[in-house]
Amino acid sequence: MNQIIALALKDLKLLLRDKAGFFFTFFFPLVYAVFFGSIFASQSKPIEGIRVAVVDEDQTPNSVAFIEELAAAPELDVLTTTRAAAGDLVRTGKRSAFIVLTQSFGEARDRMFWGDPATLELGVDPSRAAEAGMLEGVLMRYAMEGFQDAFANPDVMRDKAKTVLKDVADSDSINPIARAAMNRFFGELDRFMGEVPKFDDQNSAGQSENGDGSGGWQPVVIQSVAVAREYTGPKSAYEISFPQSMTWGVLGCTAAFGISLVIERTHGTLVRLRTAPIQRWKILGGKALACFVTTLATLTMLIVVGILLFGIRPSSYALLAMAFASVAAGFVGIMMFISVLGRTEQSASGIGWGVLTMMAMLGGGMVPLLFMPGWMKVASHASPVKWAIVAMEGAVWRNYTTTQMLLPCGILLAFGVVFFVFSTRVFRWTDH
Amino acid sequence: MLKLDGLCKRFGRITAVDNLSLTIHRGEVFGLLGPNGAGKSTTVNMAVGLLAPDAGTVDVNGCGSPTQTDVRAHIGVAPQALSIYDELTGEENVTFFGRMQGLRGSKLAERVRWCLDFVSLADRRRDRASMYSGGMKRRLNLAVAVVHDPPLLLLDEPTVGVDPQSRNAVFDNIEALRADGRTIVYTTHYMEEAQRLCDRVGIIDQGRLMALDTVDNLITQHGGKSVVIADVAGEEVRVETQDPLAELAKFQNRGQLNRFKVEQPDLENVFLELTGRSLRD
Repeated sequence: MNQIIALALKDLKLLLRDKAGFFFTFFFPLVYAVFFGSIFASQSKPIEGIRVAVVDEDQTPNSVAFIEELAAAPELDVLTTTRAAAGDLVRTGKRSAFIVLTQSFGEARDRMFWGDPATLELGVDPSRAAEAGMLEGVLMRYAMEGFQDAFANPDVMRDKAKTVLKDVADSDSINPIARAAMNRFFGELDRFMGEVPKFDDQNSAGQSENGDGSGGWQPVVIQSVAVAREYTGPKSAYEISFPQSMTWGVLGCTAAFGISLVIERTHGTLVRLRTAPIQRWKILGGKALACFVTTLATLTMLIVVGILLFGIRPSSYALLAMAFASVAAGFVGIMMFISVLGRTEQSASGIGWGVLTMMAMLGGGMVPLLFMPGWMKVASHASPVKWAIVAMEGAVWRNYTTTQMLLPCGILLAFGVVFFVFSTRVFRWTDH
Repeated sequence: MLKLDGLCKRFGRITAVDNLSLTIHRGEVFGLLGPNGAGKSTTVNMAVGLLAPDAGTVDVNGCGSPTQTDVRAHIGVAPQALSIYDELTGEENVTFFGRMQGLRGSKLAERVRWCLDFVSLADRRRDRASMYSGGMKRRLNLAVAVVHDPPLLLLDEPTVGVDPQSRNAVFDNIEALRADGRTIVYTTHYMEEAQRLCDRVGIIDQGRLMALDTVDNLITQHGGKSVVIADVAGEEVRVETQDPLAELAKFQNRGQLNRFKVEQPDLENVFLELTGRSLRD
């Protein structure tokens, strides 16, 4: 055991004295984490309102009131302007869409169940097609709010009914059957709305439900109820970027130690080790121990930085330790695999980084799995990088239970054992 | 101390060592002489257990094959390639390989100190090996080989790529080790080194042992005659002879000898005689 520890300490000393290797093993992953964390952090800020230009061609109290409603809407960022300017703003990408309240918008909004509807023109930037649907929904919602208010307020509804009865009486274009039907409906509506406060007085001793004495009925009332929601997602964008970046630290250690075994062979130190009274498995064990310790140190350093400077709060430190140990053990096997890929350090380095990069690409180390097509998500199961990220995310923000952690950790250990056994069997001990 | 019996080793279609047998006695310096590619390093690698022979056996100090871990403790090896860590200091290199040999504590510290003194690197022990000259690295390579005080040393081309001063320092080290009673197997393709250091020499070519004897006997048997070149009465005379002193005495007795030079046969001549080509081909 002393010889294995001496071998591992020698490798750690060599790593610490190789400034470039030390930087890429310890600090490159940190730079990666901060860089991508910053990007994700900016994307996770609250959604800003859709930037729209509004044109009022009606200039009536109704149109002005509607624009005020839109301006107050949190979903929108409203700029009132002319039609020509609005078109330019959208064309040049400064606004996502323009909305035009056409002439007669206000008059049409007062009518109910007959005549031409109130019309809004909507022009959307073609590159913001995804926002067009949301914008139509927002406009429909605020347009319907006026209709809903009328039903909720009997006085307003009675005024509207009287206006409609007068318009119908004044109109020459309505056929007699429709005229009779509308006179009957709006006359009854006027009378019904006049009775609503009395129903309410009898039911609640003069107090309407909303307490203003106006009575009124609404199809549905949505009440917000305070709920202490259990939030299981990442608390900050860095909780996403750090597990990803930590896998890059692991890959750096893996490549460095895999190549160092090849260097031992090509520089002749492996020959000297083999002529010492020490078994082969101890030589490889020392290298494996050094890789394991360095990987753990890299992961620990990164998570400590993440905790102290970037507000990461692992959901379980015990499970995090379990994840780290599994990741380190798994990638020790892959380190051995790298060492058998090339005859020289140059070829081992080139092929090794190629293999590791493929693992990272496939496993979500570069592009999050979320954005990958379905077949690639299935293929990612073959990449140890995917399971390393899953294990670390499980302990950092996914709130995995110990049982849930067994799957990724077990797969990582299996990767480690399979690669280690295979690679030690085919490892070239000499250059012959 | 070391017995190789019927060793054979092939790499694909190339026969590197072909039925090689020899016995090296305790306390002698044995030279394995041959051109590059003759099979010297392959023989050494089999002798230390790095390569398994396709046929034949190796016995170290009567303990058996060096493929056994404990048998290798009897052997110190200085490979032809500098087998040291450039980013470790001289002291760290010797200490590390001492630990690999199973040394601990005060014994290790004492051996490290002795080794660095032995190769005259004590004053540079805290410098990284990357800061050493080629000769210093060669000496460190030797120091690492003797850290565990082995009775058998295999030195594979220990003076390759070093300046004459460092070469002489390595020679001094080897002579000191011989004086200390160690058995040394020394491979080289420099005949001068073999002639200076070795008690016996085995000449190897194309994997086969061509001859094995003391240097003097090899020269006597295979080196041919000495050549006496003399200025006799103003005329240069060139005479091949087994007894140069007798020829010179003849010239002197005639009172006509002005100047003379004797060219004695060496191992180069022996190799040429045995193989039909030069050591440096």
